[in-house]
Amino acid sequence: MRIDMFGDTLCAMVTAAAFAQSGHRVRWWLPPGRVARALDDGRVLYQEPGLAELVTAQRRAGRLDCRTDEPGLADPNGEPAVSEPAPVVCLALQPGDQDRAGHLADWAGRGGARLLINQSVFPVGSTEELQARLREQGAATPVVCLPDTLQEGMALSSFTRPHHLLLGCDDREAEVLMREILRPYNRRRDVLQVMQPREAEFTKVAISGMLATRLSYMNDMALLAEELGVDIDVIRQGVGSDPRIGEAYLYAGCGFGGPGFSRDVMNLTDTLRRRRVGAELLEQVLQINERQKEVLFRKFWRHYEGEVDRRRVTLWGAAFKPGSDRVDNGPALRLIEALWAQGVDVHVHDPLALPELAAWARDKGTLTLHDDPYDAARDSDAMMLVTEWKAYWGPDWDDLKAAMRTPLILDGRNIYDPAYVTRQGFTYYGIGRS
Amino acid sequence: MNAFPSHQLPLHDADAERDADQALREHAGQARHWHLADLFAGDPERFQRLSLSACGLLADFSKQRLDPATLDKLRGLATARGLDAWMRCLFEGGEVNWTEGRAAMHWRLREPDRAEGEDDPVRDQLARMERMVTRILSGQWRGCEGDAITDVVNMGVGGSDLGPLMASVALHEHRPDRGKRPRLHFVSSMDGSQIAPLLDELNPATTLIVLSSKSFTTVDTLSNAATARYWLEQAFPDRNGAVLRCHFIGVSAMPERMSEWGIHEDNQLLFWEWVGGRYSLWSTIGLPIALTIGMDGFRELLAGAHDLDRHFREAPWEANLPVLMGLIDVWNLNYLDITARAVLPYDGRLKHWPAYVEQLEMESNGKSVDRDGELVDYHTCPVIWGEVGPNAQHAFYQLLHQGTQPVACEFIAAARHGRNGNSAELQPLEEQHTLTLANCLAQSRLLALGDRALEEGGDTPAYKRYRGNQPSTTLLMDELTPYHLGALVALYEHKVFVQAVLWGINPFDQWGVEMGKKIAKDMIRVLENGEGSDGLDASTRALAGYVRQQQT
Repeated sequence: MRIDMFGDTLCAMVTAAAFAQSGHRVRWWLPPGRVARALDDGRVLYQEPGLAELVTAQRRAGRLDCRTDEPGLADPNGEPAVSEPAPVVCLALQPGDQDRAGHLADWAGRGGARLLINQSVFPVGSTEELQARLREQGAATPVVCLPDTLQEGMALSSFTRPHHLLLGCDDREAEVLMREILRPYNRRRDVLQVMQPREAEFTKVAISGMLATRLSYMNDMALLAEELGVDIDVIRQGVGSDPRIGEAYLYAGCGFGGPGFSRDVMNLTDTLRRRRVGAELLEQVLQINERQKEVLFRKFWRHYEGEVDRRRVTLWGAAFKPGSDRVDNGPALRLIEALWAQGVDVHVHDPLALPELAAWARDKGTLTLHDDPYDAARDSDAMMLVTEWKAYWGPDWDDLKAAMRTPLILDGRNIYDPAYVTRQGFTYYGIGRS
Repeated sequence: MNAFPSHQLPLHDADAERDADQALREHAGQARHWHLADLFAGDPERFQRLSLSACGLLADFSKQRLDPATLDKLRGLATARGLDAWMRCLFEGGEVNWTEGRAAMHWRLREPDRAEGEDDPVRDQLARMERMVTRILSGQWRGCEGDAITDVVNMGVGGSDLGPLMASVALHEHRPDRGKRPRLHFVSSMDGSQIAPLLDELNPATTLIVLSSKSFTTVDTLSNAATARYWLEQAFPDRNGAVLRCHFIGVSAMPERMSEWGIHEDNQLLFWEWVGGRYSLWSTIGLPIALTIGMDGFRELLAGAHDLDRHFREAPWEANLPVLMGLIDVWNLNYLDITARAVLPYDGRLKHWPAYVEQLEMESNGKSVDRDGELVDYHTCPVIWGEVGPNAQHAFYQLLHQGTQPVACEFIAAARHGRNGNSAELQPLEEQHTLTLANCLAQSRLLALGDRALEEGGDTPAYKRYRGNQPSTTLLMDELTPYHLGALVALYEHKVFVQAVLWGINPFDQWGVEMGKKIAKDMIRVLENGEGSDGLDASTRALAGYVRQQQT
C-alpha cells in the first residue's frame, strides 16, 4: 500500500521505516530541521538500536522516500495539490503542531485518502476534532488515533514487537484497514486494544502520568533515604521485585525531562486543570521533579556553604537521556541557570547534545563546551553527572582526579559505587545515598 | 552644593505676613456663614474654577468652603512666608531640617539616572537593588540549603514599614514582567505578635529576611530580627555562616552597624542621612515594592513622583497641586477652625493609605516650635484619621453627617480600574468598581449639600436632617498604577512641606518620637527588677508594680 508519513518525531521515523520494511511504499515528508538535514547527509539522528540501519536499508530498497519538499497543501484557495495524498496518511507531528495537523487533514480529505492516522501527541480529543473538521468539509476520510507508546531506548522493537497496541477508532471500515496495516506486528497474539479515539489518547497520557508519579515518588523516598543513612538503590531493588509494582521507572535521579514524556505529563496536568478536576497529584509530581532538577546544585551549594562565586563546575551529560541529542526540559538547563546566577564558570561535555545546548544557551549566558570529558573537568571544583551515557560509567579515576581542582563528584544518576569512588580520593554525593 | 546652610534659611516678611493673615481673618469672618449649597447655586462654573489636574491626578477643591478670592489671599500669605525661597531651598539641598542640620532630598531619589561614569550613588544603589530583585524574582536567590527563596519578610517600623507596605498592597495587581514574585510579609510590632505566627508558617530554608532600619538601632526591628535569626540558626545549626549570608538583607543608612549585626557586605543596601524615614519608600527601603511590581514598575513609581516634583517646582501657584492642597488645609485649620481631617480612599487597594498619611502628616507637622525657637500660638497639623471609605460609611460617617464636629474630608479614588484577563468573568468586578465610585460621589455630595442634596420636602423630623457644609477634596487618579501612586505620594509629601512653611515649623525632624524611645529603655529596668521606680510618678509606679505582681 502507499502511505504518506508527516513529521520528524522519533515516532514518525520508526513508523515510516517499519511500514517500509513490511513492504509498503512510504513517502516521508520531513519539515525542515535537524532530522531532515541529517537524512540529507545520510545520517540518522535518533540513536535507537537497529533504527539507522533499517532507515538506510529501506531508502536503498526504494520503499522509503524521504522528502523535504511540501506536497502543495499550503494553498488555501483550493488549487489542485502538487501531490495527491496516498490512500493512508499518517501524522506524527511535534506536540503543539495542531494547526499543521489541521491543514494536512484538509489535504488528505480533499484528496480522498482512505484513512488518516494520527500518532501525534496532542491534547485528549484532538483526533476527534480532526474527524469533525473533515466531516464539516464533507470529506469521508475516517480519522483514527494510534498513540505513540514507543519506549525510548528500544523504540523500534517496541513498535514491531509490541507488548500492547492502543487504537482509537470508532469506524468499522477504518478498523479493518488498521488491522491489515498492523498485521505484521500483531501475530503471536492479538495485542490490539480498540477504543474510542479520546480513550486511546487519554490512556497514552495516563501512562506517562503514572510513570512520572513513580519517579517523583522514588525521588521523595530518596530524600528520606539520605536522612536515614541508607542507599535508595537497595530500596529500589526491594520495591521493584514486588510483582505488583515491577522494576521499571523506579530510579531516583536528578529529574526527568525531554520533549515527549515530560510534555505529556504537563499536557495532562493542563487538561485536568482546564476541566476543573484539579491536578493536585500531578502538580506535586511535576513540582518534585522541578525540585529534583536542582538537587545537584543544592548539594554543590551546601558543600561549599553558599560560597560558589567564580568556582568552576563540569557537567558530564546535557541530553535529557542517553542516546538523545535533545536537552528540552532536562535537568541540565535548570542546573546551568542556577550556576550562572551564582557566577559559576560552567564547562560541559556531552557526546551528542552540545549543538542543542549551545543553541539554547545563546543570548542567555556563557558555556564552555568540550569534546573531551577530561578537558571539561580541568581545574573544576565539582563534576556533575547529569546524563548516564555509557561512556561515563567507567571513567579513568586517576586522570579525572588529576584534572580537577577539587575532587568532588555529584552523581545525578547513581551510576557510581560510592565506596569505590571515595576510595579513589573523591568526595561523592549521589541521589538518596548518604 | 549647599546654598542654604541652616543659619541662612529663608526669612519671612513679618509685616506682609501680618497683613495677609489679617485679610484672611476678615475674609473668614464672612466665609464662616457660607453654605456649600449656596456656593454651588451661585456659581455654575465653580468646578471649572476650583479644580485642577496634573500628572494623571484630578483634584476637585470646589466642595471646600472657599472661593477664588480665598485662594488669592492664601497665596498672599504664602508669599509673605517666603514659600518660593523655601521651595528653592528644598530642591537645592539646603538644610531645611534645621534642628538636625540636614537636607531633605527625597526628591533626589526619583531624578533620572545620571550618565554612566558620573558619580551617582542613587543610581548605584538602585542598580544594586535591581540585581537582588532580579535574583529573587528569577528564583535564583538561594537559602543556605540551596533552595530558591519563596517568602520575603520585611522587618521595619514607621517609615521602613508603612511606605513599603502601603505601596506593595496598593500595587499588588501589577506583576513583574519577568519571574515569579515571592510571598511578601511585613513585620513591625515589637511585641512579637506578628512574627510568632508567621514563623510557624514559613519554611526557614526558603525564607529571606529584609531588615530595614535607617539607624539600624531601632529596637522594634532589631528585636524581631533577633527572633528571626534565632529561628534560622536553630533550623540550620551547622550552617551558621551561610545562614546570615543567604537569609538576611539589610537596608540602612548605617553600613557599619549592619556589618556589626552580621549582614554580609554583599547583602547591604544603602540610603542616606538626607532621606527622612517617612520619605524613604523611593530609596532601597522600597525593596518590597520592587519585589511586588518588578524593577520596571518601581521605576514607573519613581517617574510619577519625579513628574510631580517638576510640577511642584514649575507650575504657577494658581495651578500648583501641592501648593493649593497645602493652602486649603491651612484655611480649614487656621481660619475655619476645622481641627480634624478624615482620609477616605474609595479603593480597598489603598487600605494602608490612611495609616501612611497619618504618619507622613502628623509626624512631620505635629510640631509647635517655629524657626526662631518660639512656641507658635496657632494650630499646626490637624488630627488625621481614616479608613477605606465604604467601610468607614458603616463606622464613623454617622459623626460626619450628623455629629457636632466639623471635619474636612479627603476622598481618593481611581477613575478606571484597568484589569487584565477575561472580561466576561470580570464583569461583576467592574460593577463593583462602579458601585464604589457611586458611593464616593454620593457621600461627598451629601456631606457638602446636606438636605439640599435630597429631594424630600420640609417636614422631615430633625433627627433625619443633614446639616451638610462639611468641606471635602476629591482626588481622582486616572487609574491606580505605579506611576499614579508615585505622583499621589509626592503630592502629599510636598503639600506637607508647603504647610510647614506656612506654619513656620520643621517637618523633617521627630524629636517627640526620639524621647519616647529613650524613656522606654529606662522603664525596662523598672519592670524587670523595680530599679528606679522610686523616682516615678504615682500612676506609673503603681502600674509598673501591678504588672510585676501579675508576672510573678
